[in-house]
Amino acid sequence: MTLDTSTNQPGDAQSPFSGQKPEFPVMRPDYTQDAQALSKSARKRQRKNLAYGLGFLAPNILGFLAFTAIPLVIAMYMAFTNWDVGMHNNPERREPLRFVGLENFIRLIQMPQFWQYLGNTLFFMMGMPFSIAGSLFAAILLSKDLKGGSNRTWTILIAGAVLVASTLMLVAWGASGTAMAMLIAGLTGMILIGGTAGGTTVYRTLFYVPHFTAGVATYLLWKKLFVPDTGPIAAAVQPVLTSIEGVVRASPPAAVQSGFVICMLLGAALIFLGLGRLRRYWEDGEIGAAGVLLSAALLMVPVALVGRWYGFDLYAEDPATGSRSMDLGWGSIWLLGSTALILVYHILRALRADHEFVEKRQPWLGVGTGLMFAATVMVAVFVMIGLGPVFHNLPTWATTGDGLKTPAWLADVHWAKPSLMIMGFWGAIGSNNMLLYLAALTNVPQELYEAADIDGASRFQRFWSVTWPQLAPTTFFVVVMGVIGGLQGGFEMARVMTQGGPAGQTTTLAYFIYKEGFETGRLGFSSAVAWTLFLMVFVVTLFNWKFGNKYVND
Amino acid sequence: MSNIDPGPRLEQATQPSSVLPYGSELTSATVAETRRGKFVRSLTSTGMLHLLLTGMSLLMVLPFTWMVLTSLKPAGEVNDPDWFPSSFQWRNYLDVGDKDNPDPQRRGVDFGRFYWNSLFVAAWVTFLQVTTSAMAAFSFSRLQWPGRDKIFLMYLSTMMLPGLVMMIPNFQIMINLGWVNTFTGLIIPGAFSAFGTFLLRQFMLTIPSSIDEAAEIDGASKFRLFWDIILPLARPGLITLTIFTFMGNYNSFFWPLVMLRSEHKYTLPIGLMFFDSTRGQSTHLLMAAVTMSVIPMIILFVFLQKYLVRGIQLGAVKG
Repeated sequence: MTLDTSTNQPGDAQSPFSGQKPEFPVMRPDYTQDAQALSKSARKRQRKNLAYGLGFLAPNILGFLAFTAIPLVIAMYMAFTNWDVGMHNNPERREPLRFVGLENFIRLIQMPQFWQYLGNTLFFMMGMPFSIAGSLFAAILLSKDLKGGSNRTWTILIAGAVLVASTLMLVAWGASGTAMAMLIAGLTGMILIGGTAGGTTVYRTLFYVPHFTAGVATYLLWKKLFVPDTGPIAAAVQPVLTSIEGVVRASPPAAVQSGFVICMLLGAALIFLGLGRLRRYWEDGEIGAAGVLLSAALLMVPVALVGRWYGFDLYAEDPATGSRSMDLGWGSIWLLGSTALILVYHILRALRADHEFVEKRQPWLGVGTGLMFAATVMVAVFVMIGLGPVFHNLPTWATTGDGLKTPAWLADVHWAKPSLMIMGFWGAIGSNNMLLYLAALTNVPQELYEAADIDGASRFQRFWSVTWPQLAPTTFFVVVMGVIGGLQGGFEMARVMTQGGPAGQTTTLAYFIYKEGFETGRLGFSSAVAWTLFLMVFVVTLFNWKFGNKYVND
Repeated sequence: MSNIDPGPRLEQATQPSSVLPYGSELTSATVAETRRGKFVRSLTSTGMLHLLLTGMSLLMVLPFTWMVLTSLKPAGEVNDPDWFPSSFQWRNYLDVGDKDNPDPQRRGVDFGRFYWNSLFVAAWVTFLQVTTSAMAAFSFSRLQWPGRDKIFLMYLSTMMLPGLVMMIPNFQIMINLGWVNTFTGLIIPGAFSAFGTFLLRQFMLTIPSSIDEAAEIDGASKFRLFWDIILPLARPGLITLTIFTFMGNYNSFFWPLVMLRSEHKYTLPIGLMFFDSTRGQSTHLLMAAVTMSVIPMIILFVFLQKYLVRGIQLGAVKG
């Protein structure tokens, strides 16, 4: 303890540093010393502080320089060279590196695969509204007080009764043999009894385990779950498909195909309502002009893409019979046309708004709210666009060949991405997002709920008018983090489960960088992709910095 | 019980539905409640809640159940739709590590070795990273020196960079240092982390500064302050970072994948992938291997979740 007394110089309180640490009160009487000695001691002290500060930092900062800062500089340099393992790391060839300027980036933009992989990455991110909603739902359930006092015995009894009843039902139903029914009933019973006895912790643990263990092991597990035809998922889905097939066969094709029409109507309705909501946000002064325009543009994305997926063929000719039937092209025309009309309608309505009021506020106000809302509606429209052709083709699929069969999941061009998203959803319900929501839910002031109760709000109203707005900052954070993570994600899944296939359907930008950098060896090009990715992440981060706090204050 | 009708509810037990929790209370919200009515209502809503939570838990648990059951199947039954093995083959768990088994269906890989490699690398990285991070966090949070906040800001800003940007040049550095296919090359680059520094700094900032003053008055050196006072007080943070780092490295995939070349150096994730690509048809053995790598994580989580949940909710989000 006596080693370091020199630091306790009496003049410390007046050292130039005292200004920087106001938390240090003057502990000793102020000895009047001559000014020179004081500044000398201050300088000595300053040097000492710096030495200590850097001394403690040294191991970390050396590593930081060696494995973060220097690589960063090299990566920056690499992106503008033609560095290729085959040309430059090959002892036989040792060609000099050539500075190629923006060539890598130009090549990247001209590369159709890049756009496909970017599309894949964005496609995977469309699972976010579902997984965030799942996390929120789980968090709300977990935030309830489950230890119902005297009710507990009753709860256990009811749980037991339900258990017995469900067992009997499952046995009667006979999903795939009694063993399976017993298994599910047994598991349900174990969870139920554990949950009743242990409360929310038990459930929370079970929810969080898929996220916690996520990695190569669980990806391999899901790869086996997704085995075509014989895998457990295929085995579970096949009976459902068979019964659907029966229904489709029994009903006239036109009835089934009307599902396509309904999907298209719903899609247009979603766009109509979504734009209407945005317009009202704008008229009520919650969103600025830029926010509305960006959100509306986001909402238009599915419509812009529908022509590419559906094509514009209005009639398909059956080669066998020569009969003509309506084709998906009607969907493209309908969505494009109705959206144009909807746009015109909303623009006309918006023009009648109180302009003096509307134009006074900042254009970027509430852009986070707008984009999050538009993104959610956009995903719903995408779902409609995706479901439409399923209804359209269902009669054909059900009556030709073997009837409805489960897809090859990971090996199917159309199903590879949705399959991985199903797996992602499984892991994402009980993720960090759920924990963050759980923490945020406990911070919602109880008075707000009481006030809502006095106003006679239903559960549903309580959620939308109290819980949801109070959780807005958390939601914003979760979304931003999800987008940042999503842009960089997908490498492990692609490498372990699909090798990026089939036909590049599951190759994300991260896997693309890996392939270029470590398999093909085009280091310069790969670095250029990595920096492009960084740019996207950076834009999202900037967005977060600029609008995150504003959103919180709303 | 009366509002649980057998047929349609069956699916809802496994398919979480947003209609269920609200339905039971919506109708009776305005009804003047007798004591008995309230009791029944709270009973059914608690019961519903449990059922819903159980249904969701079941979704989470079923894949793991399949994993364990499949790992116990005889080789011939792996493609059967039946989840249960006809007889429980516990020796699958031994066969996983038996790479010289003459029977190709029972031949495993050097699993014990992979396991040991993973634990070895993860333990070293964790030890080094927690040490360097704690020291740096101490410097950033408890010491006053010029330029401190600028350097910290620099640290923070690198957390934003996608790790992928640095991977390629880092690999070139590894080649030049001759660290490719060595454990050194796995451990040393992982020993420094801006995230760990940030996390521990956040924890250390919550320790009141009056403690430092008291220590200084008692004449304690900075080292004693660090070792005897701040470190013990930052223990929850240290434990959180230890778990994060250890799990992250136990699961780490990208870096070992590019660094490791020889089979006897594989870590668990690389080993599992190697297993899948070379003995992929032996699903039963693969699932035994997967089980053995997942179960320790689950156990660890169950016992240490207090620290993890706190660490995550502190705003330190993994990944």
